[in-house]
Amino acid sequence: MTTQNLEIRRSSASVLGSLSGMRTAKTVSKYIDTTTCIGCKACEAACVEWNDLRRVATEQTGTYQTMPTLHAEYWNLIRFNERDFDGGIVWLMRKDQCMHCDEPGCLAACPAPGAIVQYANGIVDVNPDQCIGCGYCETGCPFDVPRFHQTTGKMAKCTLCVDRVSVGLEPACIKACPTGCLQFGTKDDMVELGKRRVEQLKSTGFQQAVLYDPHGVGGTGVITVLGHGDHPDWYGLPADPHVPWGVKLWKKVLRPLGVLAIFGAVIGAFSHFNKYGPKEARGSNDPDRNLPDA
Amino acid sequence: MSTAAPRAPMDSAVIVARDREDVVVGNEIVRHRLVSRLIHWTVALTFFVSLLTGMPIWTPVFGWMASLFGGLSVCRVLHPWAGIAFFVASIVQFFEWLSDMRVEPWERDWLGPRAVRYMRYEGDDPRTGKYNGGQKLYFWAVSLGSVGLLLSGLLMWFPRSFPRIVMEFAYLVHDFTFICFAVSLVFHIYLGTAAEPGTFGSMTRGTVTRAWARLHHARWYRQVTGEEPRRG
Repeated sequence: MTTQNLEIRRSSASVLGSLSGMRTAKTVSKYIDTTTCIGCKACEAACVEWNDLRRVATEQTGTYQTMPTLHAEYWNLIRFNERDFDGGIVWLMRKDQCMHCDEPGCLAACPAPGAIVQYANGIVDVNPDQCIGCGYCETGCPFDVPRFHQTTGKMAKCTLCVDRVSVGLEPACIKACPTGCLQFGTKDDMVELGKRRVEQLKSTGFQQAVLYDPHGVGGTGVITVLGHGDHPDWYGLPADPHVPWGVKLWKKVLRPLGVLAIFGAVIGAFSHFNKYGPKEARGSNDPDRNLPDA
Repeated sequence: MSTAAPRAPMDSAVIVARDREDVVVGNEIVRHRLVSRLIHWTVALTFFVSLLTGMPIWTPVFGWMASLFGGLSVCRVLHPWAGIAFFVASIVQFFEWLSDMRVEPWERDWLGPRAVRYMRYEGDDPRTGKYNGGQKLYFWAVSLGSVGLLLSGLLMWFPRSFPRIVMEFAYLVHDFTFICFAVSLVFHIYLGTAAEPGTFGSMTRGTVTRAWARLHHARWYRQVTGEEPRRG
């Protein structure tokens, strides 16, 4: 979390938005090439080290994967997926972390002002001091990334090393990658790189190769080259991720209508009183006065 | 020779209202005995704590309410417990008032034209008992709504225990039910105070005037004064 030197593009639970428009920044992106990942987990170690995360117990699940899923103190996890394919087996390693969506579902669902922010460069970050630990972000995220920290009661996830990026360094995971399957730069540059790699893969037999940058969430700040692009689920990625319709309906339709309804009811009651006045018993409304029977 | 000034006699209606209701005391009629009023105000208090801790979580438009409790994170901790307390109080109130809340067939059009006529003060039905059709419908709507708020609220309290689609549904149910509650509550308070003078006393002293009873609840008035036999 670092807010001192980055413009904020979007902020959770903000009535009128937070963008001042004073400083611009190019959208940044990680680039992940699953076809050249060797599963060394250097990025996992670098993430834990740079972010000063506590050591989390590993869990054996029958693969090389460190633990079954992301953890509040383990923001970067190589998923070791195995698939039967074309008479053999394919080993599909994918770096799983926050995707830094252009339209973050976590931010849309978050009720705490400023607890989740999107900086001008597209990085989606959590401010633990504002987080109330409600878990709405977990429902909002189409990639199942945010994790509730059992001891702090706060949500935690990859920050895209915003503290490094904001001073011109690349994220720790990128820095540690020995094969170059991880790259970092502006989104435009990374998309260009990804397209070239996809063309290269297609020419070498991976006809289904794609650059995974899903439109449903406005594109992501982590773009992934998939050799088997016709099966993103093989990599543990949703085919068409989007902010859940329930969250949109809740925040964009029901909530504003509800606010209007409540103010409308108050105005309605005042108007009614002005038009009809109090409804009183004939004669008097003083409870202490003896009234003759009507 | 002087004697101590005699103490003012305790208001007899208030004494009767401690443990009896639907009885005439002088020019007043006891409408809600003490325990009934205490239950109502417990429901009201727990509801308002739930409301004021929930609304700032609902939308930043009402974020200022959070400062009443020391911030949004305090609200997030208090809200579910206040909600549980509200539900428990609501159950007690439900059984305290249930016997008077059977909706008569002729009261069904309170859902439509009768409610409009009522708000236009176009005359009350002489058949109106202790509670009118609107009050009965409010009672049933609130009872049903409490269950909806409880169930959806429990899901929202433990979001990691349920699938995403269930959680989405829970948020929508909690939101919708709350909005209905909030709108109804505005009219509940308005009708119980400004719009119908004399009503608020039934929840404080416990009593209403004969004139009030004749106007708003004609059949109840005839029953408690013995002009008409009581139901059942």
